[in-house]
Amino acid sequence: MRRRLPALQEDFQSYLLSLSGAMEQEIVSDTLDARMRLQIYADAYRLRLIEALETDFVALRAALGPEEFDRLGRAYIDANPSDHYSVRYFGRNLGRFLAQTDPYREQPVLADIARFEWAMTDAFDAPDANVATVADMAAVPPNDWPGLRFALHPSLQRIDLQWNASAIWHAADKDEALPAPEQAEYPVGWMIWRQGLQIYFRSLSVDQAWMLDALGDGQNFAEVCEGLTEWIDAQYVAGHAAGLLKQWVTDGLISGFIN
Amino acid sequence: MTVSLVYPPIGFGLGLRASHYEDILNGPRRIDWFEILSENYMVPGGKPLHYLDRIRAEYPLVMHGVSLSIGSTDPLNRDYLRDLKKLAERVQPAWISDHLCWTGVAGKNMHDLLPLPYDGETLDHVASRIQHVQEFLGRRILLENVSSYLTYKRSEMTEWDFLRELCNRADCLILLDVNNIYVSSVNHGFDPIEYLDGVPADRVQQFHLAGHRNLETHIIDTHDEPVVDPVWDLYADALKRFGPVSTMIERDDNIPAFAELADELDHARHIAVETLGSGTHSRRRVVPA
Ligand SMILES: [Fe+2]
Repeated sequence: MRRRLPALQEDFQSYLLSLSGAMEQEIVSDTLDARMRLQIYADAYRLRLIEALETDFVALRAALGPEEFDRLGRAYIDANPSDHYSVRYFGRNLGRFLAQTDPYREQPVLADIARFEWAMTDAFDAPDANVATVADMAAVPPNDWPGLRFALHPSLQRIDLQWNASAIWHAADKDEALPAPEQAEYPVGWMIWRQGLQIYFRSLSVDQAWMLDALGDGQNFAEVCEGLTEWIDAQYVAGHAAGLLKQWVTDGLISGFIN
Repeated sequence: MTVSLVYPPIGFGLGLRASHYEDILNGPRRIDWFEILSENYMVPGGKPLHYLDRIRAEYPLVMHGVSLSIGSTDPLNRDYLRDLKKLAERVQPAWISDHLCWTGVAGKNMHDLLPLPYDGETLDHVASRIQHVQEFLGRRILLENVSSYLTYKRSEMTEWDFLRELCNRADCLILLDVNNIYVSSVNHGFDPIEYLDGVPADRVQQFHLAGHRNLETHIIDTHDEPVVDPVWDLYADALKRFGPVSTMIERDDNIPAFAELADELDHARHIAVETLGSGTHSRRRVVPA
């Protein structure tokens, strides 16, 4: 028997994606005509995905306004049909889309807001992991320190932002008037992570951002101290690095010490 | 003595929603069990799995998915099946369900429950995929009738005839959504009682109830309103035909306070007692693993 189901499903999906094609001929017209019946599905397809984006990008929607956000959603849906089984991941390319697509790329603050919000989404349900304590840190024998490496908590998201995305998010979260977009002179490093069930974010100075990335790359304590001399005087560098580490341990950012 | 095909009934449940987590854990116990949307918990960690484990420690759960795409002509999604099985190992659900539909082809996902044409080709295709999934999961699964808004010219049989034949071929179970029967009966002009009569009674494991939007020309299945009277009436008819089947109310949007949904569920209990008499709807408690 000729298999007709694959062609039918391709035609149906093409209709949903592009609102055109041969699908209409396959549908019974009665109290509602075939086109209207198909349109119910085409409308629902876009509405459902726009709702998913609204949930994940509250600040971006506040910055754009509901109508412009709807227009963005439709453009993004057309350019990036979902390819994951879970709608949870549908918005993962929105930051890149905004950075690369006219007219949005002319307002680079939008891409920064999207990347900031998506980092929070990723931190929210990232894997659970052990959290090292200050006592664990104190128990490391002094001789182990130079070669010591550090496991970062899997919820940690490291991004660099050129714009005041976090201030805009803050205002949107409290339903307050949004601050005007503001560009920093240099990109600013941010860390976004989960401690317990709570999401936190914090900006990083350039040496902090470098050190956190170096820890993530698997550099040991001696290598990190060496690298930090770019910004910190050699005689203070070990104390400086140990101080940052202790802070991050307290923040729940360090899952373990590897020697 | 006949051996029952279905799992033992577990009473009256609600869909588990994040906004109710604290009320469920701290408030009075008014619900026998919860249905989780599987995909919401197919994530690496954090809040969803934290609350899932805590609620599972106190209540039986069933898993309800939207991404199996059992009718798609794409190959079965192995990543999805692997993750589903992993979640089932964590949850130890009373049962696992998804929908009689397809959600996309060519690797794309429309995230909608799209209808299938009811003909021999679809029957062969879906039955063999159900068998594959059941083998992989090591258990019978439930498939739910979806609300639909169109009929394919090529369909050769009714939805209920298709469901009955599918159960025979694939040895699967049915999640009968009473609201979806009502919605589709209006959208396609069939008699919902004829639908109930056509469904094999020994395969019905669970009922869904939900609210919808009536747009006069057609009804959209929105799950954002209370259950309407004609659906309650049809629920009573379904109880008469199928007996004390485990029942839950789905609310996915415009979600009210937990107590309000628990009240609505009490109405379902009330109808069950009125229809079947007291004592027939066993509130068997499943001991959490
Ligand atoms: Fe349902």
